[in-house]
Amino acid sequence: MKKILPALVPGFAAGVLAIVPVAKNFGCCLIIPAAAVAAVFLEQTSKGNKESVEMSRALVLGLLTGIFAALFGSAFDVIITLVTKSNELVSAFGELQKVLSNLPLSDEVKQQVSNLFTNMINDIQATGFSLVYTISMFFNSLITNIIFGLIGGLIGAKIYNSKNQAMNG
Amino acid sequence: MSGKLKFLLSFLIFLWIAGFMIEFVIPYFGFGAFLFPFLKNFYGNVCHQQPEKTIAISSHSMLVCARCGGIYFGAFLSSLIILVAKFQKSLPTKYFFIAGVPMLADVLLYSFGVYSYSKTVAFLTGLLLGSAAFLYFYDALLILFREKEKKEVK
Repeated sequence: MKKILPALVPGFAAGVLAIVPVAKNFGCCLIIPAAAVAAVFLEQTSKGNKESVEMSRALVLGLLTGIFAALFGSAFDVIITLVTKSNELVSAFGELQKVLSNLPLSDEVKQQVSNLFTNMINDIQATGFSLVYTISMFFNSLITNIIFGLIGGLIGAKIYNSKNQAMNG
Repeated sequence: MSGKLKFLLSFLIFLWIAGFMIEFVIPYFGFGAFLFPFLKNFYGNVCHQQPEKTIAISSHSMLVCARCGGIYFGAFLSSLIILVAKFQKSLPTKYFFIAGVPMLADVLLYSFGVYSYSKTVAFLTGLLLGSAAFLYFYDALLILFREKEKKEVK
């Protein structure tokens, strides 16, 4: 538990922030890398040592932060969707259809793409849950969060080590 | 780092950029229409995608906001630079924070209503931070490979 705790706390925070619209507007794509940087600093602070962080350990912390952020973010999204029977997909569907209608495609293709999403939206509006949407949303956030977590972990270690070197002369 | 790995990094960032530029690609590759809704959802994980903050050219827009677009284009630019230029010394951390200052200032100033949101300013400040962040990421990768080599020697 001690080994994953530094990634769990920022991962949870990032998962929460990623679904809060105001925070998402401010943080955008920087929430997960910032959480991974925080995980690196948190681990070093909790250890209380002044040694440099190994890049491989920073990678693991970034990976774990990404996984936790995806897990918590998806879980919160599912709960909110279940309660409100609406989510980003539902609210963005009108815009999605507008974009699709502007694309130079046959009506048949446009209809197929539209049907695919109408089914998911119908499920969400009727029951508050769509299995296809939940699975795609979880894997989407897992992939992006892991990528951004790894990047953030490495940058975090680089910042920590530079700061450490400067402080220790 | 070998040239192949540097090229791979550039290619991966290029793919990422091509993904959020899908609307511009669909007119030439129709199959992209099926990918479009999934990619919109995919990039929605890393960006708020507000239409008023997204760069649009002749009714086609990016799937990320101007600031995120700037960050990724900045990273791509830096990845192209490291393909031809060699970095002998690590960049001091202060430059990373300096590169982030214009973006932070822009976010704060338009949020407090000092001026209204500008896609150009958002893109340029993102470009600066993205290019700097990539150089730090690249430097960290070099250290990671060095650590791995040392462990293998032991």
